[in-house]
Amino acid sequence: MTKEKHPIVTDREPRHRLWLGLVLTLGTAVALGAAYLAAPRENAPLPSAATYALVTALPDWKLLEPVNEVVYGSRGFDTFGETFLLLAAVVSIVVLTRPREPRRGYFGEHTAGEREQHEVDPGEPVDEEERTTRAADTREQGKISSGPEDPDGAPLGTHGPERAESLTVVTRTAIRVAAPILAVTGCYLVAWGYSPGGGFPGGAVLLGVLLLAYAGFGRRRIARVARPGVLETAEMAGALLIIGTELLGLVLVGSVSGNWLPLTEPGTIRSGGIVQLFSVGELIEVGTGLSIAVLEVLSISRDWVPDEEGRESDEDDGQSAGEGGGGR
Amino acid sequence: MIVANYLASAVLFCLGLFTLLTRRNMIKMVMGLSLMEGSTYLLFVSMAYHRASTAPVLESPPHGRTPTQLAHGNAADPVLQNFCLTAIVIGVAVTGVFLAVVVRIAQHYRTLDSDEVREMRG
Repeated sequence: MTKEKHPIVTDREPRHRLWLGLVLTLGTAVALGAAYLAAPRENAPLPSAATYALVTALPDWKLLEPVNEVVYGSRGFDTFGETFLLLAAVVSIVVLTRPREPRRGYFGEHTAGEREQHEVDPGEPVDEEERTTRAADTREQGKISSGPEDPDGAPLGTHGPERAESLTVVTRTAIRVAAPILAVTGCYLVAWGYSPGGGFPGGAVLLGVLLLAYAGFGRRRIARVARPGVLETAEMAGALLIIGTELLGLVLVGSVSGNWLPLTEPGTIRSGGIVQLFSVGELIEVGTGLSIAVLEVLSISRDWVPDEEGRESDEDDGQSAGEGGGGR
Repeated sequence: MIVANYLASAVLFCLGLFTLLTRRNMIKMVMGLSLMEGSTYLLFVSMAYHRASTAPVLESPPHGRTPTQLAHGNAADPVLQNFCLTAIVIGVAVTGVFLAVVVRIAQHYRTLDSDEVREMRG
């Protein structure tokens, strides 16, 4: 009797030390349960930090939103640090998603003798198969598309399949109506100080608008606006605005996060003094930073390491690729 | 019974921890971390709640109350709401870093199974 020639391939779900995981999780559950049962309940008095924010928001900052007083006032220095944690995360994503490049050895080593090498050994001419493969690869990366450049240029009522990179004309029209309203609402809430947290939710709204446009119109249409150069410059401008706002407080009133702007009546655009300026900086920083992060992860290139037989790197890398390989 | 929210938060945290400890698929490990992160949002918002409190907005307080009354204990805790706000934004960015690392590992090792990434072992 021979075994089955083509065994059924199933997707193995790797699990690891199930019982150890269960014991550790149960231990954590017991510790958390005990801590949470002893935590303050809904009838406990407000902590002093919360009372301070509520009491000082209106008289000291002319703010109707105590959350904004906490974010940009009494906890302003923490927010400053968190902003640069966000910036560090965005920079990490940009570096990680870059196309592969030589990171050791001498730069230019591979290209120094390229011309001479080509003269001595011109190599095989590019045949039809290679051209087809390269064209397919380029198409997959979104550089060439079979449809028109502008999704609105596709004639209505055709029987062809919907294009994957943009949604239907009905959805695109709905997005055209909703996106400007959402963007203006996000900015309005930040500008007039009615949004708890100011720039944080405002920036998330702007990211939502950008992703709505991305889903509706495809990458090529939004690439005219959401260029890396524009977004990265705006993000740095937001960071500089925050640094300037905080440092001027140190210079002018002797304290980082100290207010150095005149306060106006609550509910007006300049109520809160530096809170509004800091909030605008956060709006720019969060909106552009998260946009860069999401767009970079979405467009991470097809940068796969070649199979073992095609690899030219050192032995260690070859071994690891061989062990990890197998077409999973 | 706000303690039910606390316990729900603990359950979510433990589900995330269990996923992180027992799954070797790196996408699922990132999902576990996100679940643990989400449990803290629930905890912060639940701890900010107080009986008969309103949102911490000082304009137009409910009938029969003044901004001064709100400021002295009848509003939800703005500090914990602030923690929740900033944690969400930082959480999105950190999850993006995790996912970028996972994609790069998958491209380099051609696997999502963390057991097969030998160079990570000591």
